[in-house]
Amino acid sequence: MISRRTTLGLIGGGVLAGAARVAFAAPETEKRLVVVILRGAMDGLSAVPATGDPDYERARNGLAQEGALPLDATFGLHPNLVGFKGLYDANELIVVHAAATPYRDRSHFDGQNLLENGSEKPYGVDTGWLNRALAAMPAGAKPLGIALNSHMPLMMRGAAEVTSWAPSALPRPDADTVQRLAMLYGETDPKLAQSFADAQDANGMAMGQGGGGGYQAFVGLMAAAAKFLSAPDGARVAMVELGGWDSHVNQAGAFSPLSKNLQTLDQGVAALKTGLGPLWKQTGVVIVSEFGRTVAMNGTMGTDHGTAGAMFVAGGAVKGGRVIADWPGLSPRALYQDRDLKPTTDFRAIATGVLRDHMGLHDAALAAVFPATTKIKPRDGLIRA
Amino acid sequence: MSLEGVIAANRFGLGAKPGEVAAVTRDPHGWLLGQLAPEQELPAPLQALPSTVDDMSAFFKWLRTIADEAKANGMDPYKLKPGAPMTGMGEGGGANANGKPGFSIEREYVKTFVPRYAVAVKARYDTAVATDRPFFERLVHFWTNHFVVSGAKPGAIAMPPSFERDVIRPNVTGRFADMLLASTRHPAMLFYLDNYHSIGPDSKVGKDPSLRAPRKAQAFAVPLVAGLNENLAREVMELQTLGVRSGYTQADVTGFARVLTGWTIAAPPRVPLWKLVAQGRLNAQGLFEFDDEEHEPGPQTILGKTYAQSGVDQGEAVLHDLARHPATAHFIATKLARHFIADDPPPAVVDRLADVFLQTDGDLKAVCTALVKSPEAFDPAARKFKTPEDYVISAARALPGLPAEPGKLLRAYNSMGEQPYNPPGPNGWPDIADEWMGADAVWKRFEWANQTADSIASTTMDPLALAHDVLGPSLSEPTAQAIARAQSPAQGLTLLLASPEFQRR
Repeated sequence: MISRRTTLGLIGGGVLAGAARVAFAAPETEKRLVVVILRGAMDGLSAVPATGDPDYERARNGLAQEGALPLDATFGLHPNLVGFKGLYDANELIVVHAAATPYRDRSHFDGQNLLENGSEKPYGVDTGWLNRALAAMPAGAKPLGIALNSHMPLMMRGAAEVTSWAPSALPRPDADTVQRLAMLYGETDPKLAQSFADAQDANGMAMGQGGGGGYQAFVGLMAAAAKFLSAPDGARVAMVELGGWDSHVNQAGAFSPLSKNLQTLDQGVAALKTGLGPLWKQTGVVIVSEFGRTVAMNGTMGTDHGTAGAMFVAGGAVKGGRVIADWPGLSPRALYQDRDLKPTTDFRAIATGVLRDHMGLHDAALAAVFPATTKIKPRDGLIRA
Repeated sequence: MSLEGVIAANRFGLGAKPGEVAAVTRDPHGWLLGQLAPEQELPAPLQALPSTVDDMSAFFKWLRTIADEAKANGMDPYKLKPGAPMTGMGEGGGANANGKPGFSIEREYVKTFVPRYAVAVKARYDTAVATDRPFFERLVHFWTNHFVVSGAKPGAIAMPPSFERDVIRPNVTGRFADMLLASTRHPAMLFYLDNYHSIGPDSKVGKDPSLRAPRKAQAFAVPLVAGLNENLAREVMELQTLGVRSGYTQADVTGFARVLTGWTIAAPPRVPLWKLVAQGRLNAQGLFEFDDEEHEPGPQTILGKTYAQSGVDQGEAVLHDLARHPATAHFIATKLARHFIADDPPPAVVDRLADVFLQTDGDLKAVCTALVKSPEAFDPAARKFKTPEDYVISAARALPGLPAEPGKLLRAYNSMGEQPYNPPGPNGWPDIADEWMGADAVWKRFEWANQTADSIASTTMDPLALAHDVLGPSLSEPTAQAIARAQSPAQGLTLLLASPEFQRR
């Protein structure tokens, strides 16, 4: 699919494409969607401990959570998810537990590939589900999708034009050099030309953001996402990622990256909400990891790669304040392959529920977003009417 | 200057120095094949780096500092519970209970390790910029991105340079099995993928908790329970040998994890390792220890074959079989062809390399020779896009004397999305253009090109002549024109560095 902007880029180079910025109307949708990937397999039972499950203490032995923030009779939140608790109490957070993609092996990289490509196989397709969802949305003048990232994640790759942005500390090159390079790319290298034009647009919008970089910058990236999503003719869908969840060792300790990461995630969502201001009411945030981890502690006070885990749907547009879980339990016979939390909720049911009721995608579009052998039934009622 | 000369210098090398394309053009194949020999001595910038022992001891000393600080604050570092208060510790480093200035784990970490990391990255850069064996150096980088020890894991930050020097450099043109063995025994890998304290449940230590505390807790400042950690076993199979979806099962992974119990970092009972290291009582070789008392006894079955050996022989036998497995040959062949030829490598090349790998029992010199001799290798279409690190290095090679202050270098890499030695996971950095060609990454390269050109350009410089020199016949007419029409040498140089033919290979 060649978008109007791509055509412009090919004919006139980035100069024309840059000028197009002011000429076109805003995107048709006012809804905002943010997808956060937690790379490395978040331990769902640490983020959302099932403290009320009669088997919990025994099953988790050394990892049973103290000081969990109670949600209902069965579930609580990790103490570092203070902001999440606030959202939950304000009916702006849904916790989904025992959730998984269709992936059933335990490779991070296959698991992430499948989570991002949206098919039922790692490397099943070479585009991302979020990009296919974007292709089904009414387009504006500029890319509807932005990855807050210095490289383009698979989830966002595909036919729909998307852009990316991350903060910079270098001096801005002069406009004349920018123009000359845009023309050179326009003449010789369409792929570079497209990326270069998109970057110029993103830079125009992100003025004032700066510094940082890398995974530690998650909170800043979420604040930047709010800025992009707030621009009248800006992006409507943003993707942000936070890595470092692979807690094989000593995960419960006060120094553990897991505890720190949960805090960072909490602060990042808070920064997004603050940055969006009143637009938060129009926003849905989907937070998901490639798979969960073993229920029992491993030999090194951590957990190994597992299957089902927890995910979150947050935002002012969300009908929150509840836990969605067809809870399989933690008794030995309830576990998947005698070790993992059993998957009972399909991630795709949640994602399609949000895409349908929040972003207005119809059934045919959803089938292309998540090509499946058995039809995915979108989860009803995730979004406020 | 021939196109083959440019391809040898650019696609297989690290980008041409001035004069290099002209020199290589005489015999591009011979120039590449001549580099497939062990290096006579370690390149000078690397000789100055700390030893493996020093890297390890820096980490263990840091762990010790944390443990001591926890104790000073009335906490037992081995019994910290989830959600426990971290008064006086942690990120903020606020005042602690005694009113003295707080201790910050992160500040201490940054203070200890970031300077070491910056020096190591600069040494890797200096080596690559200066080398006359750029194909060899590319292979070093390739294998470091295959057998990954990442400093992104807290505590591992000091270790990848030692690992690269000890495991990768000596084996780049040797046998794959030797590199795999060296990797699996190296303390950096044993630490990075957690095997150093994976304990067989039925081993002597596994069955007797009283043996554990004095054994390791003091040395590693971590609590010990007895049990498997399958991280290393899984990643050896998935990422380093067979490749994912090649037929092994969870049972194979668990069986292999049992085989690898006892493969650990030396820590004699009751003596903290860091102290031994600091006193010079251990050398790098001595950092690997097979601890029979932690090894799960009994035969294990992996990929349908039963390994009845005892002790360290069992693990070595499995590794040797993994190293010569057809799936491994195919996996390595695919990765090499993808790295040098195309993101989607021609199947004929992959098959050819895999055959050579199998026939020669993993002789990497033979495999690389077959790669260079493949007709597809010199296809005129440049189908690879330089990684950020290679982009920066190739610019420095084209611009002799370009200053590179370590902090600036790190910021440049970071802004383009790649931190040498610190990939996010054990699968290493991506090796396909789509990952590196997003809008932001392309823009950041341009910003860096612009700043670099500004810092070095002078009115005596002729960017067009330089473009002809380092790009030879691959320089396109539009790029040559754009450089020729530039309003200043700095702008011309920016356009050269940002041009498609300088970024692709």
